[in-house]
Amino acid sequence: MKEGKKKIFPVHYAPGKKLFHVVVTLSDAPGSYSSILDLVRTKVNLIGTTTYTRSDGTAVFSGFSEALSPRLTGRELEKLIMSSKAAISAQVYEGKDGLLVDTFHTGFVVGDEEYILMRRDGLVHVFERVSNMLGSGGDSLLFEEGVAMGLRNAEMMSRAVGAEKVRAQTGVLNRFLAAQGWGVLHAKEGPGKGAFTVRVDDCFECSSGGSSRRGCNFMRGYLVGGAKATFGVDYDSKETKCVLKGADGCEFQLKPS
Amino acid sequence: MRLWRILAAVAVQAALLMLKGASPAFLLALPLTPLALVVETKGDFETMASEMNRRGIKAHAPAAIIGKSGVKHEFAFALLPEPGRAKIVVDTELSVKEVDEMKVLKFYVKVFDVGPEKAVLCVSPKLGPRAATLAKEYGITVLEDEVPKRLIPMAEKVVNEFVGLGAK
Repeated sequence: MKEGKKKIFPVHYAPGKKLFHVVVTLSDAPGSYSSILDLVRTKVNLIGTTTYTRSDGTAVFSGFSEALSPRLTGRELEKLIMSSKAAISAQVYEGKDGLLVDTFHTGFVVGDEEYILMRRDGLVHVFERVSNMLGSGGDSLLFEEGVAMGLRNAEMMSRAVGAEKVRAQTGVLNRFLAAQGWGVLHAKEGPGKGAFTVRVDDCFECSSGGSSRRGCNFMRGYLVGGAKATFGVDYDSKETKCVLKGADGCEFQLKPS
Repeated sequence: MRLWRILAAVAVQAALLMLKGASPAFLLALPLTPLALVVETKGDFETMASEMNRRGIKAHAPAAIIGKSGVKHEFAFALLPEPGRAKIVVDTELSVKEVDEMKVLKFYVKVFDVGPEKAVLCVSPKLGPRAATLAKEYGITVLEDEVPKRLIPMAEKVVNEFVGLGAK
């Protein structure tokens, strides 16, 4: 199966449809999730679901759905779900005029860290504006911010899984960036001792705009900061290929200073 | 679009100045004046750099310097005793009104990345109050004059003093 973007549902718009956001707290026991699914599938078409466990031994099922019957009410759905022994509590939020927004969750948590969700294009345009306002100085500012974030994220990862594991599993951890939508990283050693080359496919920084920017300076900084925190070495870097300059992907070379 | 704007500007200025009795030939040169000043100022920095090189000091005008970040920055003038290591950088900001703080910030971020011993910003006519405060905070030497051409000898004096050459 081809790799791709994960769909999540903080919001959904389907004109003319009756939409529900179903949130169920259930016991974290085998079969709980499937028993809830067996019940709700008779009344709704699930568009997107997610489940996660909580530290108190319970689990949460959250699903965006379309009603199979226009007469179905949220109250009926709640009663149906609560007829399952697996359900501890159920809340059903109804959309309005085909628009459904997740009003239950207040952000994202990955491991122990809180995350925010932001439009890729929105962030790219922030970068574009910095570059437009400050010229080449804006590019170096973006680089510095990238270094700072790369350092901080790599240090955070070292605290979470151990510095040795971060060094040994760089390839796997690069997939963590890909899963977050930053781009798909392929790193290889060289050219030269201690140096490496990183190719980034679908690099977020040059995924839109680019009329005035001269390269992916934030991403270059991020790689430098991440590498410094991981290997304890300062690196010189350059972007040897960039989508903004017509290449089919971005490529960065890092060599010890 | 740009040509249309220039022509419109000429027309408006012509109308205003003809009312005051100015010559129409003089009026045609008006929209080109800021561009001419920039080119002239640039040319004078080149002359200044040539003069300093003749005296054995490695000067560049314009100067392209790669900063710590790996980004290439351009300055109107710089002394570079070694490639990539700037001793002093000079830039210009010419405007028809007071120069705002964004221009100071734009200069400062370049300076921060390049890390020279001294940074000089030549401004015409002058910095706005907030821009002046910012420049002071950032340790930028500001030279101001209503006549852009006068900024060159002022900058030359500052550069000469800094490298211990005294007046030319």
